[in-house]
Amino acid sequence: MKNKDILFKAAIIFSCLIFSPLIISAKVTIQKNSQGGYQLYVDKRPFLIKGVIYNPTPVCSGYDYVFLNDPKKPWLVDGKLMKEMGVNVVRIYSCSSAQWGKIKEFIRDMYNNFGIYTIVSDWIGLWDKPSPNYADRESRERIKMNILKIVKALKDEEGLLMWILGNENNYTFSGKIAFWTSPEIEKIPDLYKRVLKRAEIYYSFVDELAKEIKKIDSNHPVALGNGEVSTLDVASRVCKNIDTLAIISYRGKRFGNLFENIRYAFDKPILISEFGCDSYDAYQNREAEDIQAEYIQLQWKSIFENTIFCGNKRGNCIGGTLFEWSDEWWKYNEGYTPDWCIHNPEAGWSNGSYYFDIKAKDNLNMNEEWFGIVKLLEEKDEKGLNRRVPKKVYYILKDIWTKPFYPPPS
Amino acid sequence: MMKGIGKIVVAIFILGSLSFLGYSQENIFYIYQDKNSPSNHFIPSGWMGDYGDLKFNDQSTEEVASGSTSIKITYTAKKSQGQGWAGIYWQSSANNWGFRQSGYDLTGFNKLVFKAKGKEGGEVITKVKVGGIARDPQGNLLPYPDTVDKEYGPIKLTNQWQEFYINLVGEDLSYVNGGFCIVFNADQAQKEQTIYLDDIYFTSDTTLKKEEVKTIFPFYVYADSSSLDNHFVPSGWMPATAAQDLKMYINWKESPLSGDSCIRIEYTNKSGTRWAGIYWQNPPNNWGTIPNAGFDLRGATKLTFWARGERGGEIINEFKVGGISSGDYPDSDSASIGPIQLTKEWKKYEIDLRGKDLSYIIGGFCWATNIDVNDPNGIIFYLDEIKYEE
Repeated sequence: MKNKDILFKAAIIFSCLIFSPLIISAKVTIQKNSQGGYQLYVDKRPFLIKGVIYNPTPVCSGYDYVFLNDPKKPWLVDGKLMKEMGVNVVRIYSCSSAQWGKIKEFIRDMYNNFGIYTIVSDWIGLWDKPSPNYADRESRERIKMNILKIVKALKDEEGLLMWILGNENNYTFSGKIAFWTSPEIEKIPDLYKRVLKRAEIYYSFVDELAKEIKKIDSNHPVALGNGEVSTLDVASRVCKNIDTLAIISYRGKRFGNLFENIRYAFDKPILISEFGCDSYDAYQNREAEDIQAEYIQLQWKSIFENTIFCGNKRGNCIGGTLFEWSDEWWKYNEGYTPDWCIHNPEAGWSNGSYYFDIKAKDNLNMNEEWFGIVKLLEEKDEKGLNRRVPKKVYYILKDIWTKPFYPPPS
Repeated sequence: MMKGIGKIVVAIFILGSLSFLGYSQENIFYIYQDKNSPSNHFIPSGWMGDYGDLKFNDQSTEEVASGSTSIKITYTAKKSQGQGWAGIYWQSSANNWGFRQSGYDLTGFNKLVFKAKGKEGGEVITKVKVGGIARDPQGNLLPYPDTVDKEYGPIKLTNQWQEFYINLVGEDLSYVNGGFCIVFNADQAQKEQTIYLDDIYFTSDTTLKKEEVKTIFPFYVYADSSSLDNHFVPSGWMPATAAQDLKMYINWKESPLSGDSCIRIEYTNKSGTRWAGIYWQNPPNNWGTIPNAGFDLRGATKLTFWARGERGGEIINEFKVGGISSGDYPDSDSASIGPIQLTKEWKKYEIDLRGKDLSYIIGGFCWATNIDVNDPNGIIFYLDEIKYEE
């Protein structure tokens, strides 16, 4: 009886091996050359990340919309447009470990249908309520468990490109967002040193996560997400297991000294994980697709000039993921659901680097609902999805991203 | 009839063309020799800033370096228009701010010479300039821009005539509309002052070599209120409501760290905006729209400054270098520290600039804070000895 049982189990395992599709993840590596430049390889092929951030919230939906749960599968429509444009990567902000089956489906759909890789990010609890306390062991363990579950579930996906840990969590150090502290930190008399202490605690935690991820998945780089370059010098001291930096930067038309500054502060390859420009002129109170196109074209130029692909041997950038694929109508006045059906022209924050409309009232010029490179119409297609209308910048990037590089990467 | 008109048109054309021919064969091209001298060119029509603070007399006989008259300028430093500075452009035609083609081709000249003295000695000319009328206040190129923009100063005068010059070797003088410009600053002058100018002219000097621009450290943002070593102007009050919330005294004489003065800043939340800050800019109010305005501070490894609070415990969220990112000519980089909780005693702070691109800095120094981290009634704090160091 016992032998029969063993044989039965062996037969099941064997049949699973024979009949289930064999999925082998891509081997994604990064190499540094003798001149300090960095190159990303996917299965030994040089790879430049030409990405977009994907969170296709429909008109009249809001912050509670989870696209992975949408039975209409909007990515099958968007993926086609993306492929035509030359997009080779999408970045998603977060996923719950409870959703891993749906994420797998998404990653496979994007890769098998369109050849597009997915970068999976995690907020590391940034927007949780209550806010996470990175100095608290329990908070850390809870976050860690969730992330490691995701990694275990997705690590073998062929369409997976990279992990990004955190987004702009470094802004919590000074309390700009989601403030946290501990009695130990509060004992430090110097306020700036408190900021540095929070940085040290947070980055140590991210490094611990990276170390654990690498034990499970040695095929994909682990990136540290960071808002701009602040406190990266602290990260460089404590992060020994981070492969690359995923930097959020909104500096207007160009990135200035960002690439050289990071080379000095924390010499790692750089993915510009958020950049872009909204398509609404808050000063003139009108749509501004031309300006959006001009800014993003120059931003991409700045990114590309700092990659090895343009012949710059010291290029330390491995590409960018543009914020974002489609407009999100819910973002202004997010707590008032009737507004989710209105494409609000009101801006939510101020950034002088986008000076074309900085003279808007109270200098509020960043129109969070208008960052998409694809417009959503209220009118729906046969699947029930809002119709997509690519903006001018879509075609500008398409022209750039679908052409071969010169000189070809070595 | 037609022939007559044709002759007049040709004559006008020839006369008009003459102004674009080179003048260098004569080796002297006067802006001011004496009142009503037929050799004079350019008109002192471009009054700027606190123009109400200026009294101008171009036929003074009180003091002359040569000939029979000189130019006497009195600057009252009263900030009549609230600008804190005033200046005059000598323009190729009256009030030509780059919209008319009346400039001169001064190719071949390489030096602008002038003589100056103060009435008592110690008077300060913030700067003198050749050219620089090139863009409108929004940063757009003017139809007929100067091809040169070269300045010199500050200059502290004595009560004796002295000769000064602006080195123009290597400059493009093919179109000069703003032939000469003089600028005064209320902080540097501190009180009413009278100066005299005479014998202002372009010439060619074969012995003159191209100037090598080298930044000398320490490079001060603020040493003392009247120091000629100061660079940048605390003109960038933020946000737009800041005038209601801030009072700044750059000549505070009580307990400076060193020298004879320090900066006192009083911050309240009268406007309800809840935050405020000030950028030290070059030139004043430059938010990145003015080309060729940044200092090249490569070589500096840190910015140091001293600060103290009136009571101790005041919090400044951020002290910053650079970071003006708007416009087509932004700062090349930024660096900051903060928050800083001030002590009642003077304390030195440092912003690390290693690894930064300091090749073009227009925002030399900045602080910003908000009311939420401070006494709701406001704070008072002091700054002194702000400087870039190697």
